[in-house]
Amino acid sequence: MFPQFGATAETLSKASSMVFRIGTDAHLYDDPEDVNIAPLLDSKFDSEKCEALKRLLALIAQGFDVSNFFPQVVKNVATQSLEVKKLVYLYLLHYAEKRPNEALLSINCFQKDLGDPNALVRAWALRAMAGIRLHVISSLVLVAVGKCARDPSVYVRKSAANALPKLYDLRLEEHTSAIEEIVGILLNDQSPGVVGAAAAAFASICPSNFSLIERNYRRLCEILPDVEEWGQIILIGILLRFVIARHGLVEESIMFSLRSTKSGKSEKNGEATKISNKEDTGYASGNDDFGLGADVSGNIDLELANMVSRCYIEGPDEYLSRLSYANTGPSELNVAQFTSGKSNDDVKILLQCTSPLLWSHNSAVVLAAAGVHWIMAPRENVKKIVKPLLFLLRSSNASKYVVLCNIQVFAKAMPSLFAPHFEDFFICSSDSYQIKTLKLEILSSIVTESAISFVFKEFQDYIRDPDRRFAADTVAAIGLCSQRLPDMATTCLEGLLALTRQEFLSSDFGSVDGEAGVLIQAIMSIQSIIKQDPPSHEKVIIQLIRSLDSVKVPAARAIIIWMVGEYSSLGETIPRTLSTVLKYLAWHFTSEALETKLQILNSIVKVLLCAEGQDIQSFKRVLNYVLELAECDLNYDVRDRARFLRKILSSNLDYQGLEEETNILSPNKDLAYVLSGHIFGGQTKSSPPEPINYRFYLPGSLSQIVLHAAPGYEPLPKPCSLPRVDNVDQGTNGLERARNSDSFDTDETDSLSGSLDEEGASDYGSEHSISGSNVSGGSNETGSASEGDDNTDPLIQISDVGNAFENQHGVSHSGSADLGELISKRALESWLDDQPNSSNTSTSEQSQVRVSTARIFIGDIRHRVKTKSYTLLDPANGNGLKVDYSFSSEVSTISPHLVSVEICFKNCSSEPMSDILLEDEESNKDSNSADQTLVATDSSLTSHNNVPILVPMEEITYLEPGQTAKRIIQLYFH
Amino acid sequence: MPPLMAIEFLCRVADVLSDYLGGLNEDVIKDNFVIVYELLDEMIDNGFPLTTEPNILREMIAQPNIVSKVLSVVTGNSSNVSETLPGATASCVPWRTSEPKYANNEVYVDLVEEMDATINRDGALVKCEIYGEVQVNSHLSGLPDLTLSFANPSILDDVRFHPCVRFRPWESHQILSFVPPDGQFKLMSYRVKKLKSTPIYVKPQLTSDAGTCRVNVMVGIRNDPGKTIDSITVQFKLPPCILSADLTSNHGTVNILTNKTCSWSIGRIPKDKAPSMSGTFVLETGLERLHVFPTFQVSFRIMGVALSGLQIDKLDLKNLPNRPYKGFRALTRAGEFEVRS
Repeated sequence: MFPQFGATAETLSKASSMVFRIGTDAHLYDDPEDVNIAPLLDSKFDSEKCEALKRLLALIAQGFDVSNFFPQVVKNVATQSLEVKKLVYLYLLHYAEKRPNEALLSINCFQKDLGDPNALVRAWALRAMAGIRLHVISSLVLVAVGKCARDPSVYVRKSAANALPKLYDLRLEEHTSAIEEIVGILLNDQSPGVVGAAAAAFASICPSNFSLIERNYRRLCEILPDVEEWGQIILIGILLRFVIARHGLVEESIMFSLRSTKSGKSEKNGEATKISNKEDTGYASGNDDFGLGADVSGNIDLELANMVSRCYIEGPDEYLSRLSYANTGPSELNVAQFTSGKSNDDVKILLQCTSPLLWSHNSAVVLAAAGVHWIMAPRENVKKIVKPLLFLLRSSNASKYVVLCNIQVFAKAMPSLFAPHFEDFFICSSDSYQIKTLKLEILSSIVTESAISFVFKEFQDYIRDPDRRFAADTVAAIGLCSQRLPDMATTCLEGLLALTRQEFLSSDFGSVDGEAGVLIQAIMSIQSIIKQDPPSHEKVIIQLIRSLDSVKVPAARAIIIWMVGEYSSLGETIPRTLSTVLKYLAWHFTSEALETKLQILNSIVKVLLCAEGQDIQSFKRVLNYVLELAECDLNYDVRDRARFLRKILSSNLDYQGLEEETNILSPNKDLAYVLSGHIFGGQTKSSPPEPINYRFYLPGSLSQIVLHAAPGYEPLPKPCSLPRVDNVDQGTNGLERARNSDSFDTDETDSLSGSLDEEGASDYGSEHSISGSNVSGGSNETGSASEGDDNTDPLIQISDVGNAFENQHGVSHSGSADLGELISKRALESWLDDQPNSSNTSTSEQSQVRVSTARIFIGDIRHRVKTKSYTLLDPANGNGLKVDYSFSSEVSTISPHLVSVEICFKNCSSEPMSDILLEDEESNKDSNSADQTLVATDSSLTSHNNVPILVPMEEITYLEPGQTAKRIIQLYFH
Repeated sequence: MPPLMAIEFLCRVADVLSDYLGGLNEDVIKDNFVIVYELLDEMIDNGFPLTTEPNILREMIAQPNIVSKVLSVVTGNSSNVSETLPGATASCVPWRTSEPKYANNEVYVDLVEEMDATINRDGALVKCEIYGEVQVNSHLSGLPDLTLSFANPSILDDVRFHPCVRFRPWESHQILSFVPPDGQFKLMSYRVKKLKSTPIYVKPQLTSDAGTCRVNVMVGIRNDPGKTIDSITVQFKLPPCILSADLTSNHGTVNILTNKTCSWSIGRIPKDKAPSMSGTFVLETGLERLHVFPTFQVSFRIMGVALSGLQIDKLDLKNLPNRPYKGFRALTRAGEFEVRS
């Protein structure tokens, strides 16, 4: 409007920005290399060093590689100025991995700084030192972290907690236990700030080492509100996992609905009505009036809730694959895996301490707290999470999307939760398209009888939205709504029909793709509504058929034509119109699009097969005409279809002059006819409800947003997988406690699922017999058992049976738990006869035959084929037999089912070993239980199966200390 | 890391940066790249948020201001990195700067509300709610303890708090008890649902016929809030099927931007007449009538009134040497105020 003014404004703003730039580092960024940097770095003035470093940072920011200054920069670590230090650290961490040798030069300075009286200097030194990820200095860093973990300053202790994951990332096995110990110390810290950081370290280092949590559970809960927000998010997750591992799920919660499908179905239904009753009487009365509908919806609700809880615990991939594979239905969670939320103090305190967090100003904290309540809270209290979740919708588009994805799951499993708040899901014009579709989906899954009129009114507005893709989605949502609430079907149909008529006007000239989309979607919605109850919607079908001439979009036409074929024998009016319609279709055949042509062919055949009386002759004529046209079509698909139809119906068409009745009545005479009847005439009886294929991941997780297991996703631990130590609250849970204080094996068989296969049982049995004498020690196995039971059980587990019973028990525990998840497992056992050589320096041990038993489990390889090495080494002194394995590409010569595994044995002890053999565990379990001293022969191996499970390897008769031997074994994986 | 945590953290980084640099765009970041580097280094470490509390950050890394700029120009020396660890890192109130001193103690409490409303094609109010914030600006010495209570807390549908607010008093008595951070901060945000009316009305009318469409939009006061309503603007996006538009108004100015957005800025509603905008759209050739309709976004601002009706009852201060000055203000503006046509 005023160009001259605009220009002045522009120069003005330029001038002002010039003014603002004075005193900033802008000139350094614009021209970082206008002076020689190297001499500045060596300057004795801090300000000059500082400037040089800023110039280097500017170059890094612009993408230049300035690592050649590394030696000079590293020298400046020793500076006293904190600003220079900070800049040096920034540079150092950027290039340390590139120049590891020079980076080592800085270590001395760091160590000096760690003793500095200024806490900030100590913390920075530790942070930078841990940030240099070099294996060489890891032990130095570990010492430093250990020292800082006991520092008087909170900030330094916090830095120590932050340094732990960096150290752990280096994957140095020998440090693991030391690192975990420090995590334990920091979790025990008095300051909430440290606890938050320690929680983050715990989650990334040893997320299943619950013994660290167990010690401080109550204190951690109480400190939770004071922990800083980021730590809260992580800590909430840890506490939730712990409670589930320790006590299992809560029987009043939604996750428990699995059991209520059996016993308390009506109760659950009543619950749902009760909840909705409070806010929304209309829905409740609707429930009463249409008992059937309510029951159905209640069922879906339950089934979903059940699925959700199974998915949370097992991870959807395992769960769904088992469903499709076994088809035996979900195996039951055992009663023992549930606990009462009313009497369990640990559950109560968790819920109590997380509920104020629903008011947090950090959305992620709110969502995490809501997740805990969703899983653990009694059903009547889950309502609590609704308003905080809805409040989160008032934030940036990105977080809105995440929150809506989570609400969607909650709303699907428990529609009554969000039903009273349907208005919050009305669409704003500023929402992005993805948010709009999510909102529509949620709306159509929570809508109730009383709300439907408001929702439809909104939908009418949405259909006029300029975004036609969104309008099409709205039309689809109308279809979904009327499927949920069958009484609304007529209203919906009327609206949709009106819409189709309206859209013709604008789609007449077909310039806009969007309009076509809306029209197709409208017809599809109509189709899905009709499918539910075809007889009552006969008039609608006729109206659609009448409108055939005005509908120009091929896909929409195809659907209408499909309906002609499908419902040709429905009611009374439709059959009368058929001959006209078919003639019309035949007349237009040549000008149709591909999909419509194919559909016309199908439909005419369907009509013909269902037809009776004199119509048949005319239909046959029409079909013949169309087939002739189709056989000359340009498209090969149409031509093929036409030939196929002619072949299969040849008899039918040829017998034109003869009596059709006999033809139909004598099926053996005309097999093709029957066949075609089956292909086309198979009136789809109301198809069974589609198998629900939703994937559910833990609320708030990344996987829930992307709908596949993101790296690092862990489902909840197995309920009650953490053995209890009988402590103070003995009296609270008498029954369960009695169960658990039983000998360990009964509990084990209890928690095994029904689909436990034979091998699992025998596997377990054999272990049981090995350890027969030790079983009484069931209460002291806590540590090892929990370690063995973590979710990240390695592909192959090797444990030393002879050395410690506890360890072996732990493995058996996890092995059988895994069997519950359908993963077929093969247990291999190798017996190693390690005999101290008598010719050596013979001492008192000479006569004693030391036997060590090794057990190797090979887990499911379909998911994770990764080569890792586990050793049988004694962790204390590094002695023993080291066994590495890798999958070899070699093809088995015996059977194509066998997989070759290359196993490498190395004797790391100081004594020679002899007679090393690896063989199948099952085959020798008899001898196993009989006497534990000898290596069994492999005679019984092949009798087990046609294909051997393990082809025995060539025995290694003698292994010198330090010697290595390689063998190939061939295995059969299920 | 949960996705929401990442998003929230990025928002926090953006807040801190724009707080430090007085805006957030490419140029500002380039000009202050050293500070940006230093801030990011303090805020995140190994992929996990480290220090995000603005008060602590401000003590660790000095904010660039006029004085420091002038100083750096004069002396050529500019250190913005603090030499010592901020005391707040160790205290149990990490959000508060340790022991600030002010000559005159003052605290201001602002109620800032945004009205979200949706009016459908029939002119009916589908949804009307208030999203409000209690913003506090405190300049108090020492470690004061404040208590804020509302006259009518029952109207609040849901709330979220700054970490400084203690949960217990709110749970039991709906009282906000807190030790405030220094300076400006958002004490609490709240939501009030199901309001019955809006302060102004916007009535669009579109009638289309024979390839053109007549538009008429009327704006007026429906419920006088008692204070002047100013900076009223009405914005809408032309549907893609409109070729050209010609709009005039009897009050205020109408602009049609290149991205097919029309904005009509009215300012205040005059006493003598009701502002209206009218004009015609020319539709795409071949299109007889308009079948998609734009949504009008309305914005306005009312000083001195909290439309939700929330009232602050009293603010008590403890632990202070002398009586501070207390100030209250209120402001309501339009949030997502939409009128469909």
